[in-house]
Amino acid sequence: MIELPVISKEETKRRKPDWLRVKLPIGPEYAKVRKLVDEHKLHTICESGNCPNMGECWGEGTATFMILGNVCTRSCTFCAVATGRPTEYDADEPARVAEAIKLMGVKHAVITSVNRDELKDRGAEIWYQTVVQTKAASPQTTIETLIPDTKGNWDALYHMIEGGQEVVSHNMETVGRLYRMVRPQAKYDRSLEQIKRTREAGKRTKSGIMLGVGETKEEVFKAMDDLVENGLMILTLGQYLQPTKMHLEVAEFIHPEVFAMYKEEGLKRGLKYVESGPLVRSSYHAERHVQVPF
Amino acid sequence: MNIPQDLKYTKDHEWIKIEGGSATIGITDFAQNELGDIVYVDISSVGQDVKQHEVFGTVEAVKTVSDLYMPVSGKVTEFNKSLESAPQKVNNDPYGEGWMVKVSVSNASEISDLLSADQYKELIGK
Repeated sequence: MIELPVISKEETKRRKPDWLRVKLPIGPEYAKVRKLVDEHKLHTICESGNCPNMGECWGEGTATFMILGNVCTRSCTFCAVATGRPTEYDADEPARVAEAIKLMGVKHAVITSVNRDELKDRGAEIWYQTVVQTKAASPQTTIETLIPDTKGNWDALYHMIEGGQEVVSHNMETVGRLYRMVRPQAKYDRSLEQIKRTREAGKRTKSGIMLGVGETKEEVFKAMDDLVENGLMILTLGQYLQPTKMHLEVAEFIHPEVFAMYKEEGLKRGLKYVESGPLVRSSYHAERHVQVPF
Repeated sequence: MNIPQDLKYTKDHEWIKIEGGSATIGITDFAQNELGDIVYVDISSVGQDVKQHEVFGTVEAVKTVSDLYMPVSGKVTEFNKSLESAPQKVNNDPYGEGWMVKVSVSNASEISDLLSADQYKELIGK
């Protein structure tokens, strides 16, 4: 009797292609970053987002800090950060972040945060202080801030971005049609406007889109055009990966060659810099984006 | 973080329990914790001779796929088939029910290359 293998649809669906293979973290640099993060009681999106590149980045002595706590007021379906009513508001957090960055000796620091829609200033003062204090402690260090949308509170936006950071990132995350499914409390046009205002304020603008959520190529091209029109300079494109089984399912694994095609298209359409590949995340190779000319 | 003293370790986060000429291999508590929810353990090397440091399979978590490396050269004699339907055992009990393969060790001298529990602890900064 021959026993045929039974492969359920579910099982074939969740197997990942080889190009998503990564190494587990090793080595002394990783251990050093882990220790600093733990000792300074800091949050990182690397951990909170289950990032597949954590081994590589931490192994090179770099991490992306997440400020304003680790509870978010939004409930985006792709994101592993916990949703709820945040309780943490720590005026000392900027100092701790600044000290950790100094001790790590990073040349380029990436800082992000949860959404704090319940705060009048959306967390802008903590953002401002974090940038200013990091610059004071490490004058040679360049900074990228990956900021949330301020829900149209433009004064909060301007305060968030006036601390002297070199790059201001705000991720679109997906194409317009999929906003309700992916970022239910956000608006495509409002995020575009935020990018436009950031550029008008004289900042280097950057954004990211996750692919494989269910978007079509035409929709990605449209998003690129909208972003160029609103003053975007740098775009990152990466494969969406489900952070836990409870999150939005992957619709498609995009082939590396398609990522390469998107890069070419983006540059053709007027973006100044495009980072595109399956494992690209918004802070991946971020140090290269500081030099993108205006 | 659980790092049993009676096991040996690799810098790639496998553990190995050596009993005479045979050994049991799995991944460490640290590794399962860093990987997150494990959804698939793929061992394609049963019946094969695999050299030290070569890949004997892959472990897939929700966000990542990672290679598994042989701590010592040997023939893979058995795969923990219960992981096919219950891969979460690797998360829940990495040193027990979550074991991955059994091997017959072909070169006992390689055992001295392995890390002790304390050396492994130092490697991962705990």
